Amino acid sequence: MKKNIIKVLSFIFIFLILFYCVTKILWNVHSPITYFYKEPKDSIDIVYIGSSNAYAHFNSVLAYNLYGYTTGFFSTDSQYFGLVKSGLEEVEKYQKPSLYIIDIAKIANEIDDFTEQELRFTIDSMKISKNRIDTINEVLANKKVDKDDYINYYFSFLMYHNSWKNKGINAIKTNIFGRKDLYKGYFFGEFTSNITPQEKYNWSNDMQELNMESKDVLISLLDYIKSKSLNVLFVLPRRGYEIEENKEINSAIKIIENNNFKVINFNTLPDFDNIDFSKDLYNFAHLNVYGATKYTTYFAKYLKENYQLEDHRGDKNYNSWESEYERFKEDFKKINHKDFDELLKSL
Amino acid sequence: MSLTSLVFFIFCFVTLIIYFIVPKKFQWFILLLSSIIFLFYNNLNVNTIVQLLLILLPSYVFSRLIEKNYNNPKSKRFLILGILFILAQLIYLKYTNLFLATVNHICNLFNINYQFDFIYRNSLIGISYYSLIMISYLTDIYRGACKAQKNIFKCALFMSYFPILTSGPFIRYESIKDDLYEGHKFSYKNMCYGLIRVLWGIFKILVISQRLGIFVDAVYTNTDTYTGIYTIIAVLFFTLQLFTNFSGSIDVIMGISEIIGISLPENFDLPFFSRTITELWRRWHITLGAWLKDYIFYPLLKSDYMQKLNKKCQKKFGKKKGKKVPLYISMLIMWIFIGIWHGGAYTYIIGSGVLQFIYIFLEENLEPLAKKINNKLGINMESNLYKAYQCIRTYLLFSFAMIFFRATRISHAIKIIKNMFVWNPTELFNKELLFSIGFNNHELAIILLSIILLVVLGLLAKKIDLRENLFKQKIIIRWGIIYALLFGVIIFGCYGAGYDATAFIYKQF
Repeated sequence: MKKNIIKVLSFIFIFLILFYCVTKILWNVHSPITYFYKEPKDSIDIVYIGSSNAYAHFNSVLAYNLYGYTTGFFSTDSQYFGLVKSGLEEVEKYQKPSLYIIDIAKIANEIDDFTEQELRFTIDSMKISKNRIDTINEVLANKKVDKDDYINYYFSFLMYHNSWKNKGINAIKTNIFGRKDLYKGYFFGEFTSNITPQEKYNWSNDMQELNMESKDVLISLLDYIKSKSLNVLFVLPRRGYEIEENKEINSAIKIIENNNFKVINFNTLPDFDNIDFSKDLYNFAHLNVYGATKYTTYFAKYLKENYQLEDHRGDKNYNSWESEYERFKEDFKKINHKDFDELLKSL
Repeated sequence: MSLTSLVFFIFCFVTLIIYFIVPKKFQWFILLLSSIIFLFYNNLNVNTIVQLLLILLPSYVFSRLIEKNYNNPKSKRFLILGILFILAQLIYLKYTNLFLATVNHICNLFNINYQFDFIYRNSLIGISYYSLIMISYLTDIYRGACKAQKNIFKCALFMSYFPILTSGPFIRYESIKDDLYEGHKFSYKNMCYGLIRVLWGIFKILVISQRLGIFVDAVYTNTDTYTGIYTIIAVLFFTLQLFTNFSGSIDVIMGISEIIGISLPENFDLPFFSRTITELWRRWHITLGAWLKDYIFYPLLKSDYMQKLNKKCQKKFGKKKGKKVPLYISMLIMWIFIGIWHGGAYTYIIGSGVLQFIYIFLEENLEPLAKKINNKLGINMESNLYKAYQCIRTYLLFSFAMIFFRATRISHAIKIIKNMFVWNPTELFNKELLFSIGFNNHELAIILLSIILLVVLGLLAKKIDLRENLFKQKIIIRWGIIYALLFGVIIFGCYGAGYDATAFIYKQF
């Protein structure tokens, strides 16, 4: 009997190891959040939470190179604002950042505006934990997903186990070796080097009441931040917006400010008016690498001047930040046939 | 609760743990409790209790009365009453719409401007199975083949033993009662053997059947888009889909029962290696075939009316030919019953009933002619090539009948048949069309490899006991094979978001 129990336990143990390996090879999730988890405990000074504007606009390796503080992203593409609170809870488990930056570009969007895929970007990137389960339960209840389908979120391999048939060998390579277009979470590649002229968006100061759902989400978030006494800065990126969205965001800003939190709206900031819509965006809602460099140099300086952030440059424990910056510069040169340092000087 | 759902396996796991923890004399009660939970999980309402009791109570009461009046003319009356009670409920719950459809057709025929609306009732899962099981139970007591169960709860367990409620097989009281009520000690060997069988069943369902289902569903639901070669492939695939789904479900059921220590009768014996339709039906849904023979065909053939008919026909057509008339009439009735049992629609009556009868009728009557022709042409009917031809012919004939089985209505089946005659073989290489089904080269490769695996293992199983052989291997080989199968299911199985593995073809019967 003893022998059989050992056999069964060994079988299960080997199965779990194999399953872990297969998951890593076939269904690994890669987002800036994945890279956030890779950072050593308590090594991140700033955590940037929000949608793709966060990690496409703020070049964290450049900010490190300029001022020596580290920035991690708890962000995914089209991140639902209701996930920010879960993000904060998750970050607190791994890091003690001096500052949280929360991107509010998606604040006016209700949960039904987000696709299953967009919701899953964040959920599936989160490590298995009680917080993840609570997040799933809350989000799916709001999204009115059938309870029978919850299981597909709890165990994400149920969703991705057949991804082998579409993605092919490149996906397997990425799963094993990681994404090459994320530099400590900052997103850069041929795609973000594109220059797609856009019509300049002029921010409207008109207001429209924030929809009830977003309002509830925001108030709950603010209450949470207060209860935890977190140091938070809200930002609204410079880019294009829908006019209705613009008006609702104005109401959201008012609510945030009334709760004594600071909001930087880069669309109305007089000091920050050098974004050229004909050159600095790769699409309506995203700055390209040129716009992102302008944004980062300005914002990184602002953060250094206004918050107490440590300078880790020269510390061996932070060597990876320097090597990632070097990798970024090399890749920038390969793609844009220009020296990144020269671009920096020209700004 | 589908047979491949996580809930089902958690349910079975908990049941097995409790089953082996409690003292042997109470083990049967755990099975009864699990069966009731299983029924309620699938159908949580008052109807579940009512429907269960409406079959259980008359079955129990009449079984006792039949036994009490054994060898007394009253017992026959009780038997008929008992069967009528069971059939009345079955017909009411499952075949009302068939009756209404027939009435509607008749109204149309006589230009009566009235159509009855169909009534959709929530029948209990497995009702078709346990109704027939209880009919055989009453009949066996009447025949003296078994004793009636005095404990009504034990009777309830026999009727509702949960693994068999979704897809059978048909069990007989006399052969299962000891396994069901006498307790079992946990056996490591049984667990390993059972789990392997469960795993193989899941592989058949999730990797093969569900994948084939994607293709079949697309073609059958988009008859204007997919025609010709696509329709032919879908028709051929459906037979395989049905087989892997059904036999896979049986493997899961048998495997779980094996772990408990209950041995169930086999339901399949490599049906696609059959050389004739008659043989195929001896190897396909074996327990249903046996049930029909014992409780419909032979009783019908031996009935007073058929005996009289037999005599009359022998006088009129001669001894040899005359004998065949009641035989074929009984056979036809039996096949119509099979069709009706499969579902309350004419498509089933044609697909799994009448057409099968026609095939068997022609096979038997054309056999002498075929022999003559083959002899004249010098064809060796025992050669492997000829046997292979016969197997393929059987598969094709069976697949053709299954068009009706799969179609939603007769006009749909006719459309599919017409589509098969559209000449467009090159369309198979139209990647856009193929991919629009949700298939790509990887999917096709998996189907092909899985079919090869199915055939090879089928051929091997004819010669050796595969599981016995597997467990004789060294641990590295043994575990390697099991892990390969396990990860084959995990990686290549069609489950989770985007797939609906709950649509078990046989669950509805």
